[in-house]
Amino acid sequence: MSKATYTDLEFIEGLRHNQDVVLRALYKKYYNLVLKFVVNNSGSSEAAADIYQETIIVLYENVQKPGFELNCQLQTFIFSIARRLWLKQLRNNGHTLRFKDDEEDDVVDVSAEIGDHLKKEADIEKMNACMEELGEPCKTLLKDFYVYRLSMEEISEKFGYTNADNAKTQKYKCLQRLKRNFFEE
Amino acid sequence: MRATELFDRYVFGGLSADEKTAFETRLANDAEFAAAFDKHKTLLESLNQHEQRNNLKQILSTIHKQEFGNDTPIIPIKETFIKKHGKTFAVAASVAVVAVLGTVTVLSAGGYLLKQQGNAITELGNQITTLKYSQDAIIEGIKVAARKPAKMYAPANIEGTGFALNNKGYFVTSYHMVKNADSVFVTNSVMDRAAAKLIASNPATDIAIYKIENTDAIKNIPFPFSFKENVEIGEKIFTLGYPRRDIVYGEGALSSLSGFGNDTTMYQISIPVNPGNSGGPILDEQGNVVGLIRGKQSSAEATGFAIKSGFIKQTIDNLQDDSLKKDLAFSGKKSVLKGLKRSEQIKKMQPFVFNVMVYKK
Repeated sequence: MSKATYTDLEFIEGLRHNQDVVLRALYKKYYNLVLKFVVNNSGSSEAAADIYQETIIVLYENVQKPGFELNCQLQTFIFSIARRLWLKQLRNNGHTLRFKDDEEDDVVDVSAEIGDHLKKEADIEKMNACMEELGEPCKTLLKDFYVYRLSMEEISEKFGYTNADNAKTQKYKCLQRLKRNFFEE
Repeated sequence: MRATELFDRYVFGGLSADEKTAFETRLANDAEFAAAFDKHKTLLESLNQHEQRNNLKQILSTIHKQEFGNDTPIIPIKETFIKKHGKTFAVAASVAVVAVLGTVTVLSAGGYLLKQQGNAITELGNQITTLKYSQDAIIEGIKVAARKPAKMYAPANIEGTGFALNNKGYFVTSYHMVKNADSVFVTNSVMDRAAAKLIASNPATDIAIYKIENTDAIKNIPFPFSFKENVEIGEKIFTLGYPRRDIVYGEGALSSLSGFGNDTTMYQISIPVNPGNSGGPILDEQGNVVGLIRGKQSSAEATGFAIKSGFIKQTIDNLQDDSLKKDLAFSGKKSVLKGLKRSEQIKKMQPFVFNVMVYKK
């Protein structure tokens, strides 16, 4: 159900269970916080949106972890993540401008969360690149089978293979190529 | 059966109990087989994460477009300027802002407070707010019989001044007032309370550019300001601002080409400035804008500081939106005020000087 306000706990539960309305409400609630911060530290609203979306992804990754518990206010957690991500980006862009910290801003240590996220991000980037290199029809075929769990019959129909065995052979070849790319690059 | 198919069946179900046992036995005894299976699992996990991540990204960007897609984009200030200006400016980037503000009372009414200033100033700030409102209340009381009461709004956390950059709604004010603002509204003699959105800001020079959406009240009035970057010490200057609800005129002279602590981004001015004057324009006799009021020295009366107009220009020049840059450009704007009597100049300026009300969370 959509409602006006959620508690921190409700946000986290909703996110854990992939509830779209909760995700949307969460997104709306904290965007301005991050926008203001990024803009005040020489970013554009576009950069703020990117940072904010990555922040929500980090939050999402964390609530999916079994046994995740929030040890501070959700707002503080979100702000801390966004702050770290923006700091990182400023550094990556070679900015010499000193990072302006606001004495009013509440920050918690999120290095572990950011560390996990960056590791995962690198892995996903690699997979993105491999999948792009793989091209169609392999990309969709592998996703259909391994992510969306379509049957070989459905796949062979979708891709116009004469039978499920042909589809299976094709899938095997695709997977071998992906494996080669992913592990040996 | 191919190994991968065996792996898939083990992962997704599809092996008989016996086959499953045999599979697990082989995993335990055949290191090469176990390693291949690990690889397979890792690959599938990555594949799943990759797909989930891309989906989540898509969902978030859709939500963003739907909820915030119509917001005015905020354009960042390029930082090349700060690098270019070396010593004076590198310090100004963040450290100096604090250092300068530590001894310069910032002139926005009602509580832009700095830790270094201690309680005396804090109280002063609050008194000013109270004073301002009680004064208004008295005036409202006098006028109440004559006109219908004005709409009531919650008092802003900080009030100050801003002035227009064109008659399309863009205006400039002090960054220190709007820092961490939740919302910003402006009003003046011709315009009802209008919401303003941040377009660009530069904390280092204490400049923020905002835009109001509804420009009906001013769009057909000739824009009065022109800008000038060079002024001489001793030139007479004046300002219009909102130290209280009504616009207030102040005049004086340009005292120095540098500000507090030899800060070359500022002028020292001898206009008596009060809380609320922050963000107001400093004009020369001909009505050219030469600066923007920033603050005053707490230890000296009638010693004010103004950001040089060149830095407003710089902020505009560093916008990344070319059409906006052109729109706000300093050059080519003829002074409408030149040669006019002061009272006439003020009349023409008034619609373009705003009382800026800042609300913080």
